[in-house]
Amino acid sequence: MHIRHVILCSLVLVSLLLSACATRVEVDGKFPAALIHKLPLRSIVVFDEAFANYRFESTEGPEVSISVGQIQVELFTSLTDSLFQYSATTTQMPTNSEADLIIVPNVEDVQISMPNQSRLKVFEVWIKYNLQVFEGTGEPVADWIMTAYGKTPTRFLKSDTEALQQASMVAMRDAGAHFITGFARVPEIRQWLRHRSTPTSTTTPTPEVNTQP
Amino acid sequence: MKPLTALSTLILLLTLSACTTTTVDEYRENSTALTLENGERVVVLGRRHYADYETEPDFIDCIGKKLKADKAISVLPEKEFADLLYPWFEPRTAPLGLKRLAKMLDEPLIAQRFKEQGLHYMIWVDGSTETTDRDGSVSCAVAPGGGGCFGFASWEKTGTYEAIIWDLLALKESGRVKVEARGSSYMVAIILPIPIVAQVQDQACDGIGQQLRTFFRKRANEAS
Repeated sequence: MHIRHVILCSLVLVSLLLSACATRVEVDGKFPAALIHKLPLRSIVVFDEAFANYRFESTEGPEVSISVGQIQVELFTSLTDSLFQYSATTTQMPTNSEADLIIVPNVEDVQISMPNQSRLKVFEVWIKYNLQVFEGTGEPVADWIMTAYGKTPTRFLKSDTEALQQASMVAMRDAGAHFITGFARVPEIRQWLRHRSTPTSTTTPTPEVNTQP
Repeated sequence: MKPLTALSTLILLLTLSACTTTTVDEYRENSTALTLENGERVVVLGRRHYADYETEPDFIDCIGKKLKADKAISVLPEKEFADLLYPWFEPRTAPLGLKRLAKMLDEPLIAQRFKEQGLHYMIWVDGSTETTDRDGSVSCAVAPGGGGCFGFASWEKTGTYEAIIWDLLALKESGRVKVEARGSSYMVAIILPIPIVAQVQDQACDGIGQQLRTFFRKRANEAS
């Protein structure tokens, strides 16, 4: 009985020590509305379950877990509200939608770098998105690989959790900046927008788009 | 009497050893003071596009506080500015030169936002504080009867920053201030570790903030 207690206590102690070493980050924050002319388009953004619950897990070196699912749903909702005249969100790919564009964001990869790995005084977060863009009919328009990067400097008494939260938020804002400034510059999307704005097109005309001052 | 002498010696030692030297250089386009009319504001921003370092946000806040210390200069906080102009002043999109800023201000939405906020000057701060040298070591141990630390460690920090003032109405550079602050910090451990930390970043902020104020202060003096 005595040995059992010792083993149990040891297990509890070891698990406590292990959990104390792990870094778990639930990224949260708010995004400002983008200062941009709205495109006269109707969009639907599809947030599937994998995207909405995305969690980055790393077991190489110190255990790190960063949950970005909810915050990236908020980010893309805010971005499409700012960029398009009308925008809605859903969790499943719509069929025969009346929207002009359907956007399906996917996380391709997340990488992090901590000061003890890079020997730099910064925490870094990279996120690679694949933004699939479809016409309302479901015809594919573009697969846009969009990268985002965020970093935050180390500071005395700042925890790894706090630093990774800040770096992730910077990466999210960077994703937003890339999306807003780059959307109409993706060759396939630019071509699609041009095609819509030509007089021969049967759809609503779209003026020439310039999201890069 | 002896404890008092020891305490005084320790305080003197701390004061002498943890001091910081600060060098400030400035360049002005001309001798005219930078004017701020009623309702006009200044924004201080940090450069964040380099891979290996970034200008610390708390350093930018510190300069903002120094500038508005005597309430003569109104400062728009960096975070508020970045949110109001999102996404045009993120590390990916922020203009690195005046030509790019001029092009950005051709966009009516952005120009209007600058006007609404009464922005007349933009101050870009670039640099960081780094540990440049490190020596010695401190070891700590815990035993059933107690624990303690023993040793001596020292490290030197250098803060190098440059602030460039842009006139947003004339779209030209109005001046720049460069500051370099160096300081040595120590950790003495005899059972208890006693850190003696040089406030390098604070000194750099003080130096650059005071100097930047002189660009605007003359106008305040003229007005009074």
